[in-house]
Amino acid sequence: MQCEECRALLSAYLDGELMPEERDEVGQHLASCVSCAAEYESLAALSRRLRGGLDRPHAPETLKARIRADVARETSTVIPMSTTTPTVSSTRPTRLPWLGLAAAGLVIAALSAGTTAAIIHHRAATASVADQVVSSHIRSLLPGRLTDVASNDLHNVKPWFNGRIDFSPTVPRLDSLGFPLVGGRLDYAGGRPVAVVVYQHQQHVINVFSWPADGSSISPTLVRTEHGYHLMHWSDATGNFWTVSDLNLGQLNQFITLFAKAESEGEPK
Amino acid sequence: MAPSDRERFEHLVLPHLDDAYALAHYLLHDGHDAQDVVHDAVLRALRHFDTYRNGDARAWLLSIVRNCCHSWREQHRHTVAGRTAIHTDVERSPELPDPAMADQHAIQSSERDRLHRALATLPDEFREVIVLRELQELSYNQISIITGVPAGTVMSRLARARKRLASALELPVSEEG
Repeated sequence: MQCEECRALLSAYLDGELMPEERDEVGQHLASCVSCAAEYESLAALSRRLRGGLDRPHAPETLKARIRADVARETSTVIPMSTTTPTVSSTRPTRLPWLGLAAAGLVIAALSAGTTAAIIHHRAATASVADQVVSSHIRSLLPGRLTDVASNDLHNVKPWFNGRIDFSPTVPRLDSLGFPLVGGRLDYAGGRPVAVVVYQHQQHVINVFSWPADGSSISPTLVRTEHGYHLMHWSDATGNFWTVSDLNLGQLNQFITLFAKAESEGEPK
Repeated sequence: MAPSDRERFEHLVLPHLDDAYALAHYLLHDGHDAQDVVHDAVLRALRHFDTYRNGDARAWLLSIVRNCCHSWREQHRHTVAGRTAIHTDVERSPELPDPAMADQHAIQSSERDRLHRALATLPDEFREVIVLRELQELSYNQISIITGVPAGTVMSRLARARKRLASALELPVSEEG
């Protein structure tokens, strides 16, 4: 192979995009030609510098939230616009109500009516807390809504809740573990004011909602994934926790493990 | 759209918003314009989801983003002409300052500025192949789908773009053939 021919192929050689025979010929030429080898080294160095040095801009969370909301809206309005029934602005198709009744009937056969009512009531309450928490997360991504107190210092965030809410939320420091604290805010969910502590990982926002313990003990559970947001819930002796983020599930689980561990070990003073 | 199609769209297309935004950012040199164009491109993708044929969803979305960037530039030819192509202010979400990385960034910023300045001197069709290959690490086949030119053209464009960049950065390479 001549130098000229080799040089025309170096870039594709670097990218691993040559056919096997061409690749071998270029490789053999490089082994014997110092100047082509030097040129190859320049191209490889350029590639390394670009990969290491160029910005990789991430889409802002606000943009992602707007797009997800629009996708949800555009796809839900296709529900038939029948002539008689006014369209209900629901993103979820109403699931055959009689099916629920039939299921309830089966349960009643096994349990006392009182217990069933309590279970149904509990499930409905949980569903609505889940809805409220996800909505609050999406709302928080709009400009200016994320935090009432913006600080990376837990000694600013934790005291801020004093007097604003009737308990002291857990605010573990997880900066060194890749989850810096962004701040806190008050919100309202499940019929009571709740504390929201905000963390981030890379450009992903993590909202942690908490309120006092109610005696339940639930290990971290994925409640649902909606519009790309994962909603997880757990509770223990220290409180009731819900967290929402578009982090991937592995990272979100890691975050919860770190959060729960820091929380049970007590916070640094 | 059936709920199952919506789920497919959310599952296949929405995970690539960061890539879509990065491409638009490099093609338009501006974060705000990139946001508008990506938003528009994703909604177009949604409306034309029936044209997606089980291929590479990322390449499919990026080809739409690229086309939207090109039409956007056509429409804003006059206003864009005066804009400096060097963007050293790749933005972060406004409410999210990066708490721990400030010093690190200061150290890296001169190399970063040099690279961005060199990249900005390239014609659009060269810059886009560099971004698709070096930043997004796509194959020639995927780049061919996105840019709508044959893989052989991708190969020669990329080779020429690299030579130009190498000269701009004063790396030793032979003259462009």
